[in-house]
Amino acid sequence: MNTAKDASLALCPKCHKLNNLTTEPQQCSRCRGMFYQRKKNSLQYTLAWNIAALLAFIPANLYPIMIVYQLGIGDEATILSGIGEFIDHGLYPIAVIIFTASIIVPLLKIIGLFVLVYKVHTGIRLKPDKHSKFYHALEFLGPWSMLDVFVVALMVTVVELGFVTSVAAGPAINYFTITVIFTMFAANSFDPRLLWDKKTADQTQLPTDKLSKNVSDTL
Amino acid sequence: MKNKINTALFVACQQCDALFDKPHLKQGQLAKCNRCGSTLIERKVDSIERSFNWSLAGLILMLPAILLPIMGVTLAGQFHQASLFDCILVLIDRGFYMIACLVFLFAIAIPIVRLSGALYLSYCFKFNKLKPSLLNFFRAYHHLDHWAMLNVFMLGIVVSMYKLLDDTELSVNLGLLAFIFWLISSTMSAAALDQDYIWDKLERAFPRSCDNEYC
Repeated sequence: MNTAKDASLALCPKCHKLNNLTTEPQQCSRCRGMFYQRKKNSLQYTLAWNIAALLAFIPANLYPIMIVYQLGIGDEATILSGIGEFIDHGLYPIAVIIFTASIIVPLLKIIGLFVLVYKVHTGIRLKPDKHSKFYHALEFLGPWSMLDVFVVALMVTVVELGFVTSVAAGPAINYFTITVIFTMFAANSFDPRLLWDKKTADQTQLPTDKLSKNVSDTL
Repeated sequence: MKNKINTALFVACQQCDALFDKPHLKQGQLAKCNRCGSTLIERKVDSIERSFNWSLAGLILMLPAILLPIMGVTLAGQFHQASLFDCILVLIDRGFYMIACLVFLFAIAIPIVRLSGALYLSYCFKFNKLKPSLLNFFRAYHHLDHWAMLNVFMLGIVVSMYKLLDDTELSVNLGLLAFIFWLISSTMSAAALDQDYIWDKLERAFPRSCDNEYC
């Protein structure tokens, strides 16, 4: 399979125009933006954002995320204890949604990106087709972790009945948003094309079949 | 130095960098990469017309979605309701600046900017008023691709409604309906926008003056 890199072409990440690579960074002949053939220092950036996200995830789980005041008495809840409350009240679907969005997805994203970076770096047991699908799933799931933040924001706003009942956001909410945003940055700075590059570089050079043979199948 | 390739004849996969001959597609067809399976290029049906209408609808629905109360609670004889805009004001008032910023950005500002961007683009294409500034404009528009979170906010509304239903009397207002329609029209306007078509047309309208490069 021929790649654009072999033909010394580069794809503009914004307008998807193929350019003949002359300098790096290359100016796109269509949208006139500057870009690199692969995202610059992709693995380092991903790793750095990822570590930052992991660090922020610790206080996000330790501090209370929401404080419910009833008649002046505050009741603190962390992310996990909030989920426990849902289970106690029998609201299982909500418990599952919140647990997925605020525990499983961020953790999966952080661990998954670490694994991807490691595999691209070392090339051990790299399966680009599966790993690129996994990366797309991670990228798609990213924004959904913001769910908890929006829920807390809505609760603070709607349940505001003065002294009787009011809700305040705890300090964990800031750390949690930082986690989510950093994992989104991490996923954005990862370049899935590196997976394929590493694989083809490791294998013995495949016989390059003619370009016209890889005509894509149209639907 | 390798001889230059006519780049207009090829497409590369955005996800795995495989190089293919550029297929000629009719409206509604799409080409997939046969190595990684992601979409190479797609011709959308009636793209300009559709994104114009959806984004216009979205911008009209924006006002009721933001200003009308989404839901209200009754607890111990007290009634309180809140709209999306109240949400921001209350959060600022109580000192939660960070969530206020986030809700404002992800649920109000970025969707509005994206909608008006789509409207402006499709307006320019519909009435054939292409300007060179559109190149920069559309490139900037792509920066916001990941950051509109109206759908997540919608799920947030549903979850908090369930939560409140448990121990308060909950009332749902017109704002929720407007918000749902706003979500639908902004999603549809983003989905209807045919990027490849727009870029092709912009490229043909404003070719870069190139000396030795094969464009």
